[in-house]
Amino acid sequence: MRFEDQLIDILPRLRRFARGLAGSAADADDLCQAAIERALKSQGQWQQGTRLDSWMYRITRNLWIDERRASGRRGVHAPIDEAAVQVAGDTADSVEAGTLRGDIDGAMARLPDEQREVVILVLVEGYAYREAAEILDVPIGTVTSRLARGRDTLMHLLGEAA
Amino acid sequence: MTYDKAIIAAFVDGELDDLTARRIEREAATDAALADEIARHRALTDRLQRHYGPVADETIPDDLLKLLARSEAEAPAPAADTSLAARREAKRTRFAPMHWGAIAASLVLGLALGTQPWGAPADVATEGGALVASGALAAALDTQLASNQGADAPVRIGLSFRDRAGRTCRSFEGAALAGIGCRSDDGWTLERTMPGNRQADYRQAGSGDLAAAAAAMMAGDPFDEAAERKARAEGWR
Repeated sequence: MRFEDQLIDILPRLRRFARGLAGSAADADDLCQAAIERALKSQGQWQQGTRLDSWMYRITRNLWIDERRASGRRGVHAPIDEAAVQVAGDTADSVEAGTLRGDIDGAMARLPDEQREVVILVLVEGYAYREAAEILDVPIGTVTSRLARGRDTLMHLLGEAA
Repeated sequence: MTYDKAIIAAFVDGELDDLTARRIEREAATDAALADEIARHRALTDRLQRHYGPVADETIPDDLLKLLARSEAEAPAPAADTSLAARREAKRTRFAPMHWGAIAASLVLGLALGTQPWGAPADVATEGGALVASGALAAALDTQLASNQGADAPVRIGLSFRDRAGRTCRSFEGAALAGIGCRSDDGWTLERTMPGNRQADYRQAGSGDLAAAAAAMMAGDPFDEAAERKARAEGWR
């Protein structure tokens, strides 16, 4: 199968991953576009027989982190959901449990990037811890601890704490 | 409750070995606090998947598709009257890496699975680096219902269920190979494989492991007869 066709097959899931990372549909598609361009350019670096989806997720995630760092330096805040803006400034702990009941975008936007990406890879995309660790280039223990913190915050904000 | 949160999370994420997973399942049946904690973790996963899942079903914006279509159009079209040397070169660059990869993959696969790699047609193929069902196995996964299969069917379907990523998955058992296939756009990706029931020594362990693996992957209950029929009618999506 043509490299481009394999990318097209992955696109629906890649858009979902990007939506989780970026929050808004427009930002997510910009991110996908940048990731596809990068992938087409560095096609030679992808090794046949390895998972193209993992490779694409890694490219997408790295571009997103670069973008976040760059906008941080410029003093630009990445757009996040309005509901999240209303409670921004508080740490998750000081926000009343269930504040963002039903507002998953808002709750996700409040997670630190490194927790959000783990939550999406494992809980939404269904990657094994080991695979997520490979995509993110971190040890498995880092994946599990970030996932645990992300989960706790989400349960708290979404009102799933017992 | 004797398990810490990390273990419960790993259980819900399908990361535990079968033995531990089964022990937790058994304990959850009588330990309400444990069952609650599992349910709380599952509820979060379900909510996230319900929220983000539909994104993958959206129509892909033309801008993105154009990027991938255009790069094809830009590729140099082979001239009509190229020399033999040029043709040979084009052929080599186009096919060589992929072919060798595929041959190596099927060799490894044949050795690993203990099947006959040269027998026709194989039950397993590779697609983008993943194992996928093909031949008679793919046909069985596509068409065979657990509620209505012949006693002599070469592949027996076990459970059909939805996994945490929302895919339809089916466990199967054949003479050489047993496992769990999950339906994606590329066909049935084999998420678990183990020796089939021809290896008599494995028979008992094999079916138990398979059921435990299925239980660990499952979101909700396995399909009943009606749900299985309906899923087949909908192409297992």
